[in-house]
Amino acid sequence: MIRVENLGKTYMAGAHPVVALAGVNLEVKPGEFVAIMGPSGSGKSTLMNLLGCLDTPTSGCYFLDGTKVSGMNDTELARTRNRKIGFVFQTFNLLPRMSAMRNVEQPMIYAGVSPRERVRRAAQALERVGLAQRLHHKPSELSGGQVQRVSIARALVNNPSVILADEPTGNLDTRAGEEIMAIFQELNRSGVTIVLVTHEPDIALHTSRIVHFRDGRLVGDEPVADPLDARQLVSVEPAANQSGSSDQGGEAGLP
Amino acid sequence: MNLLESIRVALEGIMASKLRSLLTTLGIVIGIAAVIAVVAIGQGGRAVLMSEMEKIGTNIFAIYVDWRTNKQVTGREFDLSDVAVIKDKVPDITRLSPVNQVSGEARGTKDKKSTQILGVSSDYAYIRKFNMKEGRFFSEEDDTGKRRVAVLDEELGGQIFGRVDPLGSKVTLGSTPFLVVGVVAKGESALGFEENPKVYIPIQVWQVMFNTQVQELEGSAVSKEKVDEAMGQAVKVLERRHREPGKYASVSMEQEMKTANKITGIMTLVIGAIAGISLFVGGIGVMNIMLVSVTERTREIGIRMALGARRRDILVQFLIEAVMLCLLGGVIGMALGAGGAYLIAKLAKWPPLVSWYTALLAFAFSAAIGVVFGILPANKAARLNPIEALRRE
Ligand SMILES: Nc1ncnc2c1ncn2[C@@H]1O[C@H](COP(=O)(O)OP(=O)(O)O)[C@@H](O)[C@H]1O
Ligand SMILES: [Mg+2]
Repeated sequence: MIRVENLGKTYMAGAHPVVALAGVNLEVKPGEFVAIMGPSGSGKSTLMNLLGCLDTPTSGCYFLDGTKVSGMNDTELARTRNRKIGFVFQTFNLLPRMSAMRNVEQPMIYAGVSPRERVRRAAQALERVGLAQRLHHKPSELSGGQVQRVSIARALVNNPSVILADEPTGNLDTRAGEEIMAIFQELNRSGVTIVLVTHEPDIALHTSRIVHFRDGRLVGDEPVADPLDARQLVSVEPAANQSGSSDQGGEAGLP
Repeated sequence: MNLLESIRVALEGIMASKLRSLLTTLGIVIGIAAVIAVVAIGQGGRAVLMSEMEKIGTNIFAIYVDWRTNKQVTGREFDLSDVAVIKDKVPDITRLSPVNQVSGEARGTKDKKSTQILGVSSDYAYIRKFNMKEGRFFSEEDDTGKRRVAVLDEELGGQIFGRVDPLGSKVTLGSTPFLVVGVVAKGESALGFEENPKVYIPIQVWQVMFNTQVQELEGSAVSKEKVDEAMGQAVKVLERRHREPGKYASVSMEQEMKTANKITGIMTLVIGAIAGISLFVGGIGVMNIMLVSVTERTREIGIRMALGARRRDILVQFLIEAVMLCLLGGVIGMALGAGGAYLIAKLAKWPPLVSWYTALLAFAFSAAIGVVFGILPANKAARLNPIEALRRE
């Protein structure tokens, strides 16, 4: 699925180069749920941008689904992002003036899906993240946790090879974070590959494998022996899980 | 991403800030309205002018002494015998009349009035297509018999005779009494030309009263196609008879119409071009706001790129947004301009002339402005780096 060999990225900040990533070798197999951890500035986001085809490496190779991505032109990269990658951002990055539906439709517009099919699939995706009752709400009318669920729906609507989430719970409180992890785990159980950046060990322990970075280098790679199940934590508060009928979701639920 | 989707996305962008979009298009609105109104008024005015000239007659001409030559004007450039000779030698000339003018005083039973006294032959009534309100125009016999008969303008008749019927009354020109044999009906002029009141008397009487010169000739040809050629032949005859080559000048209604057509066309073009400059300024306004909009929506652009928009998709989105803004301005401007032209035409009693052609042109032109002035902002948007765009607040 994902295979990077000797991947490196050097930024030119003024006169001196900044090595953000160097000699990274990593393989992510289909169905895996990987957490990337490391201190701030260790190159996590740089790696995610490269994996997400938003940026091109200065050295090394990147294969996605057996296709060499490094060396693609802008148009091919855009197509790859559209078909094979789903992004979930720390800052959500929804289009503020559009409804949840319309936001989830966007990736399908660029994929050339017909309007009718778009509406069907967008509704389905929103239902899957527990927002069946919030289809026509705008981001400003939703809680942080709900907004992030919309962006997860948007990320998975084109059936990508991998979902890349850079600190998806970073702007959420613990409870909403748990809800998001519950959704990720649910998706992963149904076969979706997920790579997630976090600096919170609690979040990382929900995944099946943790990769450590320091100073742009991969310094550790270990499986998670007994992943936490977010469902248990979330279900402490009844009716606050994926039913979507609850207004208590999100940060409002906990003190 | 197909065109329909691009249009929808662009529309969403426009609708997101309605007031600003409307204000952005204001320059285009004013520009298009100005161009439409100017062209419509110009064309309306021209049509009225042309129909006015056509009413006078498209096949008439005049021959006069060319005042631009340095040759001495003797007063013997024309004489009465020229008329018969020219008519004889140029069969395409159907009517020909000497025309002498002097200003003088006409006195009727009620009042006196300063007027133009014209000495002409009986052909003049045919050349000018006179419509007699009452009586008749004077005849050839009146002319050769040097009878003191006069024909008045309807307006002049009213002014100097009041409610008394001028027909059969005496009008005194200078100190000579004339019998009024006819009154010429006032022509209807949409342009409202205010012509001096006139009185017509036989040329031979005029010559006895004032002098023996002939000032100029007016005539009509069989058709407007033949008029210029016939007129040229008449000039040649005159040049031969008087041995004065290059001293005569001539003009036909056909030529005048062509000139008037050209002048009104140029005027419309010039004023239209000035109005067009406001369109240009409007286009710059659109470009300016679009540039601001691209900066403001940098994050949106980054998001779209992350979701799979190609640079081309972004370019097209912003280009279509600019084009739609300009088209919106174009449509509003067209309505305003056509409305204005219609109002003016109604006040001036002109035909309102906003042709489909003009409307279509304005439509195409505003779209073109959108493309020309939208390309720079759209290009700026498409060139953004997705990572930097996503990081922007
Ligand atoms: N556009 C850039 N230009 C210059 N240096 C950059 C740029 N982006 C990231 N860096 C540098 O690369 C290093 C890794 O950054 P990043 O991948 O964002 O770290 P992390 O996400 O792990 O906190 C940092 O030292 C950062 O300053
Ligand atoms: Mg980071």
